[in-house]
Amino acid sequence: MTDSKQALSVNERLRALVGNQTSLLSLVFIVLAIVFSVTSGGKFMSVGVASTVLTDWGAFILLAVGQTLVVISGGIDLSVGATVSLSTVTAGWVMVNGLGLDSSIKGTDAWGPIALAGLVAVLTGLAVGALNAVLINYFKIVPFIATLSTFGAAAGFAIIISGGMPLQGPQDFSLINPIRIPGIDPKVFDTGLFSPMVILMALIATVVGLFLHKSKFGLYTYAIGSNAFAARAAGINVKRHISKIYLVSGALSGLAGFYAYIRLGGGSPTSGTGMELYAIAATVIGGASLMGGVGRMWGTALGTLILFTVQSGLLMSGIAPNWKQIVVAILIAAAVAVQTLQSKNGVR
Amino acid sequence: MKRSLRTLAAFGVIAALIAGTSGCAQEAKKITIAFVMGAESDPFFQAMKIGAEEEAAAQGVDLIWQGDPTNYNVATQVPIVDNVIAQKPDGLVLIPTDPNGLQASLDKAVAAGIAVANVDTRVSDLSQAVTFITGDNTDGGTKAAEAIAAKIGYTDGEKYQVVVGLTSATATTNVARLEGFKAAVAANYPGIEIVDVAYSESNPQTAASNVDNWLTKYPNLDGIFAIDGTNASGAAAALQAKNLVGKVALVGYDAYPANVELIKSGVFTALIAQDPAAEARLAIKTLVEFIKNGTKPGTRDVVIPNVVLDANTSAEDLAKYTYVATN
Repeated sequence: MTDSKQALSVNERLRALVGNQTSLLSLVFIVLAIVFSVTSGGKFMSVGVASTVLTDWGAFILLAVGQTLVVISGGIDLSVGATVSLSTVTAGWVMVNGLGLDSSIKGTDAWGPIALAGLVAVLTGLAVGALNAVLINYFKIVPFIATLSTFGAAAGFAIIISGGMPLQGPQDFSLINPIRIPGIDPKVFDTGLFSPMVILMALIATVVGLFLHKSKFGLYTYAIGSNAFAARAAGINVKRHISKIYLVSGALSGLAGFYAYIRLGGGSPTSGTGMELYAIAATVIGGASLMGGVGRMWGTALGTLILFTVQSGLLMSGIAPNWKQIVVAILIAAAVAVQTLQSKNGVR
Repeated sequence: MKRSLRTLAAFGVIAALIAGTSGCAQEAKKITIAFVMGAESDPFFQAMKIGAEEEAAAQGVDLIWQGDPTNYNVATQVPIVDNVIAQKPDGLVLIPTDPNGLQASLDKAVAAGIAVANVDTRVSDLSQAVTFITGDNTDGGTKAAEAIAAKIGYTDGEKYQVVVGLTSATATTNVARLEGFKAAVAANYPGIEIVDVAYSESNPQTAASNVDNWLTKYPNLDGIFAIDGTNASGAAAALQAKNLVGKVALVGYDAYPANVELIKSGVFTALIAQDPAAEARLAIKTLVEFIKNGTKPGTRDVVIPNVVLDANTSAEDLAKYTYVATN
């Protein structure tokens, strides 16, 4: 082993590093953090910014995780952002119009209603996922078009149900505020990085990640994405598995809608606007291939982190916000270029 | 979904047609005013609908209310206007979704003997229109600057840091409000520095994230101008989460009921509200007068100023200006 390692030329070692998506993304993340620290005059390297990046990460991670499953299976889910809007609004509607509760219910008193809001949001997400599954499996509509139509429908219903305005319900903003270790003065040393909701989202993402990489469910997902025909020949019920994947993506979008409810203190009909594009971007930057069969959950988690490092980094550096789109575009192009390089080398 | 909504809209048109003809049978001379707005789902137009219905009832005229259910879009508005013209109303209040795209529709209506008014937005050539009534977004920006200055107790010689949350660099209402805000700051409050602007991309979660970052970047931030409903919602949530209510002056836009509530709890120093209901009332009143007596208004273009809602606003006025969801 050591012999063969020593035999590697510098060029080959570089390629091996590039070939490992996780180490490459970690490197990109570190470089970006250093660059933004310089451009922001040191302001970027702060606990405040880190907690904002993590809060944004929490808002997007489950969408990106669901998208990763879908993309590995060879599909795409454009409906996730609109599902966030719809699920957060149905949660708000049940609170305000269904139960007659309002934003005067705060703190721990709000936990009961909030838990119910979460359930409503997840059920709404599942319903959209089920509709996607039916359109794709039984009406034989390609995923791009099937989820494009549910995207439009969900976004429209979100506005109709809410009347275009936010529905403020029972709320507890401490759930989205970073937890600080008691007894340590935040002015001396700020320990506030992770909010309870971010921790919850990270746990859920980890569970889904383990399912992808350590279970039969994950194995089937890769098999279908690599070659659906061969998967069917091997005895996998492809239809049923694809249905499961879109249901999971829908439920995760519903959970992201719940997150938006907590973050904004209610259901806002545009809470998910534009989120599908960033979820797909995070997945692609993370190393998943839109051709199917390729992708890692770690990559997606880092891809999402990089996206919001860019968002916060640009703001802290006072760089015009329009640059965000351009930087994201460069990252996507670079990620796909690396993928091509990897497949040439035969490294996965 | 979109198709089913269109079908629904088509049924609406047919229903209105039937209602219109039966109305004619009962009372031969009753005036009919058609109202074609931008997007039914927008709270702005819902508030406008309430004003239009009130004024139509007060004037004793029939009202045909039409528009795309969700999309503010020239492509869907043109056929709706054509349908409405075919019903031969006496007057048409039109909110053109595009200044050039709706010019032909307006000319067609005038050629058919229909008196036309523009509200909120206008077509390029207004010479055929009876009146054009709009809100003043530049003035709204000026009022926002005044509200922030009052809240922070502006005194000359002191330095203050203020940020502005926008939706995008190009939204026309955003641009007008920002212009008014900047002009007022430059003219009257030289100590206020607008240190940064950021975009929400129409998503209140992004608006909240921007405010979070600003609070780290400017630990002594004095004020936030949240230029529309999306930014107002996001900024309000961010300040509440960070327990900074009352410590940072927050002036928002648009009288969403949820945000009007937050004036009372001190989250919003003030909300700047447009008055779409007043625009609709005046348009219908002007058209009815023109149809009855042939008198055009003294000035064709009317600008209705934005209003400031704050802790001193009476409950009556708050109720009057708060947008109401009608579906």
